[in-house]
Amino acid sequence: MNLKKLLYIDRRIIYLVVAIGALIPIIRPIGLPVVPTEPVIGLFDKLQSLSPGDAVIISYDYGPSSEPELNPMSAAILRHCFHRDIRVIIMAIFPLGGVNMAIRQLERVTGEFEDLEYGTDFVNLGYKDGGQAPMKAMAVSIREVFPNDVDGNDTASMPIMSKVQNYDDVKVVISLATGIIGEWWADLVNAQFDVPVAVGCTAVSAPKYYAFLRSNQMIAVLGGLRGASEYEELLRRNFEWAREVYSDPDEMKQSATTGMDVQSIIHVIIIAFIIFGNVMYFATGKEKGR
Amino acid sequence: MQPLGLSIGVWVNALLTLCILSFLYKDNPFFRFAESLFAGMSLGYYIGIVTVQTLQPNLIQPLSETFFGNYNYLLLIPMALGIMLYFRYIPRISWLARIALAVYIGYYVGVLMMQKIHGQVLPQTRDTIMPVTTGGIGALWNLVVIIGVFSVLVYFYFSVEHKGVVGKVSRVGIWFLMVSFGASFGYTIMARISLLMGRFSFLVNNWIRPMFGS
Repeated sequence: MNLKKLLYIDRRIIYLVVAIGALIPIIRPIGLPVVPTEPVIGLFDKLQSLSPGDAVIISYDYGPSSEPELNPMSAAILRHCFHRDIRVIIMAIFPLGGVNMAIRQLERVTGEFEDLEYGTDFVNLGYKDGGQAPMKAMAVSIREVFPNDVDGNDTASMPIMSKVQNYDDVKVVISLATGIIGEWWADLVNAQFDVPVAVGCTAVSAPKYYAFLRSNQMIAVLGGLRGASEYEELLRRNFEWAREVYSDPDEMKQSATTGMDVQSIIHVIIIAFIIFGNVMYFATGKEKGR
Repeated sequence: MQPLGLSIGVWVNALLTLCILSFLYKDNPFFRFAESLFAGMSLGYYIGIVTVQTLQPNLIQPLSETFFGNYNYLLLIPMALGIMLYFRYIPRISWLARIALAVYIGYYVGVLMMQKIHGQVLPQTRDTIMPVTTGGIGALWNLVVIIGVFSVLVYFYFSVEHKGVVGKVSRVGIWFLMVSFGASFGYTIMARISLLMGRFSFLVNNWIRPMFGS
């Protein structure tokens, strides 16, 4: 057998194998176990420690390209907040779709709660341009930065905003971030205004955020789909309602836990290809006497 | 049965996804079309959302509703600076754009300088000052962090030739960098798989399954 042919296998065959590996758990979820880790437990514990009526900011700093990783995270955090009667102030700093992600996630989750009232229990302030500028200005007055909500309603007349003037009235900021925006919340808002910050980020950004976690500039880091699945697992372990929500077939399809099945299978495929490629490389090298 | 508008949206979404995925086979006009459409729509979306969510509530509304109240007339200054940025397209007065750009850069340099020193340099440096003599696994990890930071800094110090002790320490730095790149690359793969999973999940659960009524 010519080993060299195997070494130069058409990349499209690899794509095909990966595609099959991804499709199997999507069609029939396996339910591989997920074990929560400390960086994720930090946010869960923080939200558990808050009292009903406390306010948190959730900033939707991602767009459609990060949807698969951050949507399940967002849904899990929103559910946790609403079940604990924590008031949620939604906003977006990421221009390309952040506000739409927020609208869709609120539509998905708020329908599960009959007594939630917009403007009292939660508000969607919409998108604000300028990156660090609105973040800094919110330390003085959130209402001045967001005079209107996402639909153009006056925020000053909303009960939730009458209790939240600036960062002093916010217990934690949770940034669901793609790229660098989560970093700004830590090195600007946490550093200068001492607000606890947690970041749910795409896996690409996760390594740099662990440095902020280590230096206590963040209270938690939820890294990619894995972080989201760990948060879902924490909810399932602690609450009966979560076990019901995440056993619903439609919810399961969108959950990070199902996504982790795909991750695990494809990781095995990739590791197998790496081992195979290296074995073939050294085998063909020996043939040539290298 | 899905509403017609929703099903049309799903079909457009699915077909554009397939156009993009077709690049995996080879470059083709369908991929080019979807790519250009995405770029154009992103720009249009950005202009729209900045107009509706920032310019309208933070500039146009205050100026039109209460021009003199709450010192709103001062908003004319950032408005003028914003318009001046576009003067660069008129050669005769293009120099005016530099004034606006200078203000813009000045503001962000000021914000970022504080942000980086106060929020990154100092806390991250402080985090490398850790006990290594307390014993236990914690002290061992602290030592690893200290050696890592020190050796990588030596690797990036180019005023001394990397020979002898400096060379050996910088070599250790390279190893730390390689481990860091490996971790980043592993996480990147994880993120890319999530994207693939997201698209496949959409195609299977939102497009194909409803077609067959399941």
